[in-house]
Amino acid sequence: MTRPVYVLGAGAHPWGKWPEKSQLQLALDAMNAAIADAALSWSDIQALVAASSRFEGGMGWGLHANEVVQAVAEQGIACVNVGGACAAGAIAFQTAYSMVASGQCDVAAAMGAERMPKGFIPRPPGSPDDVTDPDYLRWIAMGATNPVYWAIEAQRRMHDFGTSAETLARASVMMRRNAVGNVNARFRKESTIEEVFASPMVCDPLHLLEICPVSDGAAALVLGTAEYAQRSGHRIIEVAGCAIATGQFGDPARRIPTVSSQVRPDVPHTSEVVTAVQRACTMAGIGPEDIDLLEMADNSSWHLLAWPELFGFLEPGQGDWMLNNGKLDIGGTLPVNPSGGFLSFGEATTAQAVLQICELAWQLRGDATGHQVPDAKVAMSAVLGLGANGASVILKA
Amino acid sequence: MTITPAELATAPVVAGLFATEAGRAHLIGSRCLGCGTLYFPQAISCRNPHCHDKTIEQTALPNRGILYSFTVQRYRPPPLFQMDDWQPYAIGVVDLGQGLHVMGMLTDIALDEIAIGMAMQLTLEPLINDSQRGSIITYKFKPETLA
Repeated sequence: MTRPVYVLGAGAHPWGKWPEKSQLQLALDAMNAAIADAALSWSDIQALVAASSRFEGGMGWGLHANEVVQAVAEQGIACVNVGGACAAGAIAFQTAYSMVASGQCDVAAAMGAERMPKGFIPRPPGSPDDVTDPDYLRWIAMGATNPVYWAIEAQRRMHDFGTSAETLARASVMMRRNAVGNVNARFRKESTIEEVFASPMVCDPLHLLEICPVSDGAAALVLGTAEYAQRSGHRIIEVAGCAIATGQFGDPARRIPTVSSQVRPDVPHTSEVVTAVQRACTMAGIGPEDIDLLEMADNSSWHLLAWPELFGFLEPGQGDWMLNNGKLDIGGTLPVNPSGGFLSFGEATTAQAVLQICELAWQLRGDATGHQVPDAKVAMSAVLGLGANGASVILKA
Repeated sequence: MTITPAELATAPVVAGLFATEAGRAHLIGSRCLGCGTLYFPQAISCRNPHCHDKTIEQTALPNRGILYSFTVQRYRPPPLFQMDDWQPYAIGVVDLGQGLHVMGMLTDIALDEIAIGMAMQLTLEPLINDSQRGSIITYKFKPETLA
């Protein structure tokens, strides 16, 4: 038996480059904002789940939740630190959700905070320099950066569906336009297709403005029972669906950092995320037609076209028409990334999925000032992380 | 230790990735004796959840296939990747059959002439010619030439 869980508060530190702030400070700023938003104080928090970063802080062991409570509230609470790479924030959310749903505690928080190194994300430490480590092979044998993987998918899409360079560029333009009104986004200036084409080609067909950069940022959510939700003073936001998944054998996706795929018929592309989305929909008892907005991981402009199709929200190849006719815009039939997405934030890896869920909550409360989807009642997030980690959350107003 | 010219010419970028037999290069992979699945590089176990045997053996992978997709790496990758006279180069995915798609650098073709669906074959080429280490060889795919 589980009990319903509600979002009590959401908070974020704006995305950007913050060399003067430590990762711990970013985390505290986001946590304090979320707790204040929930009209609670640190003494109300009974558990903290952190998405473990591998770049900074966490005492070198990914102990980010412990670091936060030791800095601000040593009160004996449960601290859980979870891995999951770029999906870690959603896995942290799922863990906090489970703690409240199971009755282990009445109020639990989830957070992610990240300061990213510059440039292409390098190979992590801890694996041997030999043929058994794909993340060694992809560098030493062919120099395959992450955008190579996305570009190979984009090139194939152009072949399969006739997707044009203009349509890919328009996806990036849409993200920048959505971000103009979002104070948490890093890149908030409108762009044009011409500007996208004028930016350097990184991996054909993807230009610099069509792949997500890296940023520093932090986000946090406070979850709790119905009783706490009624006290918060906000519109009641329920966690209707919350699921994590890993990949399926035979998935045709070019999965970072591998150098091969075993492709089997009828296995969904990016199966870890597709499975998580399906599980979240089943849990919420809803279908794609019920979703008022989608916040998804747009590591490249290709993702914005392909993912809604992979989830079954659109027919294969339909994403182009939807985008080109404004149907994915904030005022469209399926608004995708009203926040501005990874392309306007830059990815702060483990914090990103927490921010996605904050955005869902703000949209459903009508608090997404400057980028509000009108009358949003049901909102979904979807994210992918290294190691074939997928996660999806559905919130309902 | 003395390194002979022959050894210099065949120093792989990493051991166990590829081999040459009777003048023909092939990638070294694994084949599951239970379900027949091919893996590259060599796998520690079969990943097929429906396969309960999971006994794997080393195998020479097919060295020809069809280009599934490609891109051009326009920025120099981080320094773990080393290449003499660096310039933009293509990376492709080649369908070797039996469900196995393998990524690798493309060679012997102009960047603007690469097309999805081309017949490709495996080849070995040096990335680096170094007076200390000799020639460091990697595998690449090139347009198929009739033997």
